[in-house]
Amino acid sequence: MAKIQGVYKIIANQKLSSKFFKLSIEAKSFRGKIQPGQFVHVKINDRLDPFFRRPFCIHRVKRNLEILYEVVGRGTEELSQKKKSEHLNILGPLGNGFTLPSRNIQQVVMIAGGIGVAPFLALTDILRKRKIRLVLLYGGRTKEYVFNMKAFKDNGCQIFISTDDGSYGVKGRVSGLFKKIRLDKSTYFYACGPKPMIKTVQEFSKENNIEGQASLEEIMACGVGTCLGCSIKTRQGYKTVCHDGPVFDLKDIVFEK
Amino acid sequence: MKLSVNIGSVQFKNPVTVASGTFSYIQKYSSIADLKKLGAIIPKTVTLNPREGNPSPRIVETPSGMVNAIGIENAGADCFINGKLKELKKIGAPIIASVSAHTDKDFLVLTEKFNKAGVSALELNLSCPNLKHKTLVAQDKNATYCIVKAVVRKACMPIVAKLTPNVTDISLIAQAAQDAGASAVSLVNTFSAMVIDVNKRRSKLGNVTGGLSGPAIRPIALYMVYQTAQRIKIPIIAMGGITNSSDALEFIMAGATMVAVGTASFVNPQAPRDVLEGIKKYMQKNKIKDIKELIGVMK
Ligand SMILES: Cc1cc2nc3c(=O)[nH]c(=O)nc-3n(C[C@H](O)[C@H](O)[C@H](O)COP(=O)(O)OP(=O)(O)OC[C@H]3O[C@@H](n4cnc5c(N)ncnc54)[C@H](O)[C@@H]3O)c2cc1C
Ligand SMILES: Cc1cc2nc3c(=O)[nH]c(=O)nc-3n(C[C@H](O)[C@H](O)[C@H](O)COP(=O)(O)O)c2cc1C
Ligand code: FES
Repeated sequence: MAKIQGVYKIIANQKLSSKFFKLSIEAKSFRGKIQPGQFVHVKINDRLDPFFRRPFCIHRVKRNLEILYEVVGRGTEELSQKKKSEHLNILGPLGNGFTLPSRNIQQVVMIAGGIGVAPFLALTDILRKRKIRLVLLYGGRTKEYVFNMKAFKDNGCQIFISTDDGSYGVKGRVSGLFKKIRLDKSTYFYACGPKPMIKTVQEFSKENNIEGQASLEEIMACGVGTCLGCSIKTRQGYKTVCHDGPVFDLKDIVFEK
Repeated sequence: MKLSVNIGSVQFKNPVTVASGTFSYIQKYSSIADLKKLGAIIPKTVTLNPREGNPSPRIVETPSGMVNAIGIENAGADCFINGKLKELKKIGAPIIASVSAHTDKDFLVLTEKFNKAGVSALELNLSCPNLKHKTLVAQDKNATYCIVKAVVRKACMPIVAKLTPNVTDISLIAQAAQDAGASAVSLVNTFSAMVIDVNKRRSKLGNVTGGLSGPAIRPIALYMVYQTAQRIKIPIIAMGGITNSSDALEFIMAGATMVAVGTASFVNPQAPRDVLEGIKKYMQKNKIKDIKELIGVMK
């Protein structure tokens, strides 16, 4: 049986920009075992506060397991204080990740809102082996959300950036970048970010007849499909983001008011 | 070392179980060897017909706990009996099924279905609205008495009444369940609660209100178990914030015969196993030969 809970050593916890950090964890057992888009459920400390684990996408697994995260509250703040050689209790890998596009797809467009960019590095680690066009549309709130994307470039991604306030790249929402790409039947979408962004991508893909998948976020308790706390509406009824997702077919997601 | 305990005529090999709605068996993630060691498994409450559950968000984290408003999402009794229950039985631990209904009649139909389902006992989740009395069933002595009595008459297995803590004196409701022939009572279910997002000026739950669980409720749950143990003779299955064996032993010493791990499993999936192993260690260290020596032993 897969042993999914373990205590792992922190190799590095680097600040990448004023908002983003990259955590590297020694987790040999993850090598070769993950599907891009899967996540890990991290206990921030051994105490009762914060009480829940915190879910994070797997950014990349090479030598180490990497997580890209944004400090937004108590848990991520405490995580950002962790030092090399400290340990973390991690549950994972969890959920169903991205399914790879069919062989006739010639262009993959990844649409990321802020920290939603995290799972796409692992995805491009696989897709780079195909001789297809990889495009990353990245939208941040301000230039503070822009970080060094060399790893994506090394994987052959063409990158377009927007910021809400125009302090970097094109001014406006990430959907404003759609006009930068040439769309045709051989294009496939992957989206990860805030719900309103995913909704825009869903509408756009419908209008343009493009298939795709999206990775969703919900507040989670168990992370393994037990508590039914992270359910979302889909065309097939309620599904748990943690166990049935976090990746869903774009068409299947039903947005509640 | 003797760990076995009895609920009615049924013997369970040890006192550790899991609270309804907090356990699910997912092959991909669970080790059967560990789950098999549990005294019993109490799966999520099922209703006669499928229920979709509440709109999201359904959970919110609170200090040392959580508030949930899942809304008993389930696929209905038939689907459960023909599907999930079969999977759960493969684990090898006895099953105490949990059911809920809005009417006496539905409770009886459910009882008949489970009479044939091969479960060790049936837990009635009485934290459900009582259409006649405009309260939850378990907030009303008479409603509790009537439903338990009717179900006991039909049932071929021990009946456990699961009670809500949202009452003035839970021991009086437990007494009504005992008088009606219940083999045990389970307490406590979650405490009515809510959390407001001050920026959005609205509840953090899609359902507005929900139920508090986890370590935050433990001392109150413990008091309720203690209070109930003074009044009734039938066994108590205790739950409310148990995270480790020391927590569980508190409940046993206050008078509980069995203990259930709930919310703690969401943070530590191995919590039920840890509780069991810890109780064994405590017994070894203190030269306790039979778990019964500890039940209600508090001075
Ligand atoms: C499947 C999944 C993958 C994720 N991957 C990443 C990732 O790769 N990198 C990353 O930085 N973040 C990721 N998140 C979001 C991350 O889990 C939250 O930012 C984190 O839990 C916040 O914890 P906190 O204690 O710092 O914030 P809190 O103090 O708990 O809350 C601060 C704010 O964050 C929001 N929040 C809390 N929990 C979640 C949650 N589970 N999902 C979304 N928002 C939340 C709250 O609503 C609140 O507005 C992911 C979430 C999910 C569900
Ligand atoms: C997410 C969640 C779902 C629950 N679902 C049920 C349920 O379906 N039926 C039930 O009788 N109790 C349900 N409960 C209550 C628990 O079984 C238990 O009585 C309560 O949570 C207190 O124990 P704890 O603090 O250890 O979790 C649920 C609790 C939680 C947190
Ligand atoms: S977090 Fe519990 S079901 Fe998804």
